[in-house]
Amino acid sequence: MKNGRAGADSTLVARKLRKNYGDFEAVKGVDFEVRRGECFGFLGPNGAGKSTTMKMIYGVAIPSGGELSVVGLDVTKDIRGVKRRIGVVPQENNLDEELMVRQNLLVYGRYFDLSKKSITQRADSLLDFVQLSERAEAKVGELSGGMKRRLLIARALINDPELVVLDEPTTGLDPQARHLVWEKLRQLKNEGTTLILTTHYMDEAAQLCDRLVIMDGGRIITEGKPRDLVKENTSPEVLEFRPRPDSLEALRELLAGEAEHVERSADLLLAYTHDSDELMRTVRRSEIPLENTLYRPAGLEDVFLRLTGRSLIE
Amino acid sequence: MHIPSPRGAFRVWQRDLTIFRKFWKPALFPNFIEPFFYLAALGLGLGAFIGDINGQDYILFIAPGLLASNAMFAASFEATFNTFVKLKIDRVYDAIVSTPVNAEDIVAGEYLWAGTRSVLYGTSFLIVLTALGLISSWWALLLPPFIFLMGLMFSVMGMLFTSLIQSIDFYAYYFTLIVTPMFLFSGIFFPIEDFPAPVPQLAWFTPLYHAVNVCRELATGPSPAVLIDVLWVVVFTFGLALVPVQIMRKRLIS
Repeated sequence: MKNGRAGADSTLVARKLRKNYGDFEAVKGVDFEVRRGECFGFLGPNGAGKSTTMKMIYGVAIPSGGELSVVGLDVTKDIRGVKRRIGVVPQENNLDEELMVRQNLLVYGRYFDLSKKSITQRADSLLDFVQLSERAEAKVGELSGGMKRRLLIARALINDPELVVLDEPTTGLDPQARHLVWEKLRQLKNEGTTLILTTHYMDEAAQLCDRLVIMDGGRIITEGKPRDLVKENTSPEVLEFRPRPDSLEALRELLAGEAEHVERSADLLLAYTHDSDELMRTVRRSEIPLENTLYRPAGLEDVFLRLTGRSLIE
Repeated sequence: MHIPSPRGAFRVWQRDLTIFRKFWKPALFPNFIEPFFYLAALGLGLGAFIGDINGQDYILFIAPGLLASNAMFAASFEATFNTFVKLKIDRVYDAIVSTPVNAEDIVAGEYLWAGTRSVLYGTSFLIVLTALGLISSWWALLLPPFIFLMGLMFSVMGMLFTSLIQSIDFYAYYFTLIVTPMFLFSGIFFPIEDFPAPVPQLAWFTPLYHAVNVCRELATGPSPAVLIDVLWVVVFTFGLALVPVQIMRKRLIS
């Protein structure tokens, strides 16, 4: 690995990576390392710099500063070499609408200079993998959103990549289609493919990622395993109170004294604690009027709220 | 300066060919049939009143020029509307640039494809012209390679315009203000040299004028002066070719 600074098992290393568009700094110096075989996530709201970081990885954006090495190659020196060995699932569907489903894979495989025989074999097994064999001769326009996303995943795998970059792989899909995509990604991971994905869904990050970074405003604000991030940054239990508007302040004062910390998100007050039963009893005794209350274990969105003071999806 | 890789360009050309093979019959027909309308209406209809031009039957005079305009239209549509759809609507190029094919290869591949398409249309038209007895020289065997060169030239021009516009509506300007005037004033339908200055001088600066000259000379047997026209086409095409490559690259890679 370049400069010998990264561990031997790292397949992607970013150091002080920056990207600006004119005066706007989309990525403001980020450092991260992705190990071979892991699923690494970028979590953050729209405009956090996740997609720009992905684009630098697959060569559609050129870094303005810092270093980025992907599969051991410097992206500013050998982007063709990088692209030859990775797979890309873009945020927006860009399947070739003029080609049939199977043809999309065959034509895409040619861009990698693969032999016709190996493309054909691989296309058939990939269609099988993403459960689209029966639609092989269908027009792309006839596929549902979930099928198109699965075809994009199959297309990204045509060159048998070491690393697959997925930019918001399930945005806009219905729950059933999302679960099918997740299942495919887990299978890939189990086969040893390194995955990098961006998402603004907490459950997606928690379900798939071994490690993740949370990005906001072009910076990485924290990094770790999903469970550790929750453990380190917030209390394990959350009570979500929706008080009457006129009693919001009174409740906030009470919770500030009783809970470990309190966050406000629109008309909700979120109280973090190790003992939600005890906190609930205290709130009931105070007789502050509540419209409703929800108990849940703390998750990544609480980490984000705690670190930025804002909700992830606004 | 980004220089296209031949291999990448070939892959893009191959993609266009794959799609063309599915649609070639309906796609070929209009572009192929159009010059016959001009040939019939002007060559036979108007030609009956004109008689000879430069000692040639009128229909013999215009037929080779229509080969040049046919190549211009084929390559222009390819480098304008078709390219714009791939760039901005279907986002085909966005998918390609994340493979080992780079943005600069895409533009070069589209040039090659526009050249190929011009040859396919132009050669079929040439065969019919020959069958009708409108081609009189063996030098006409050099027409297909020259049609390919014309396809490249008009593709470079169209691609330059495409690389600069944000909306598909702007092509009205390109076709009305550039393509149509060239079609009318490049010596296809009447010798432009007889016009008062500065019309012949202006025509000298347009690509179609030289393309028409070469086609006419090859169809009837060339004089050495044709080399100047060929040289003009070569210098214009290759001098300009890398400009759209750089601008399109900027649109695809930020």
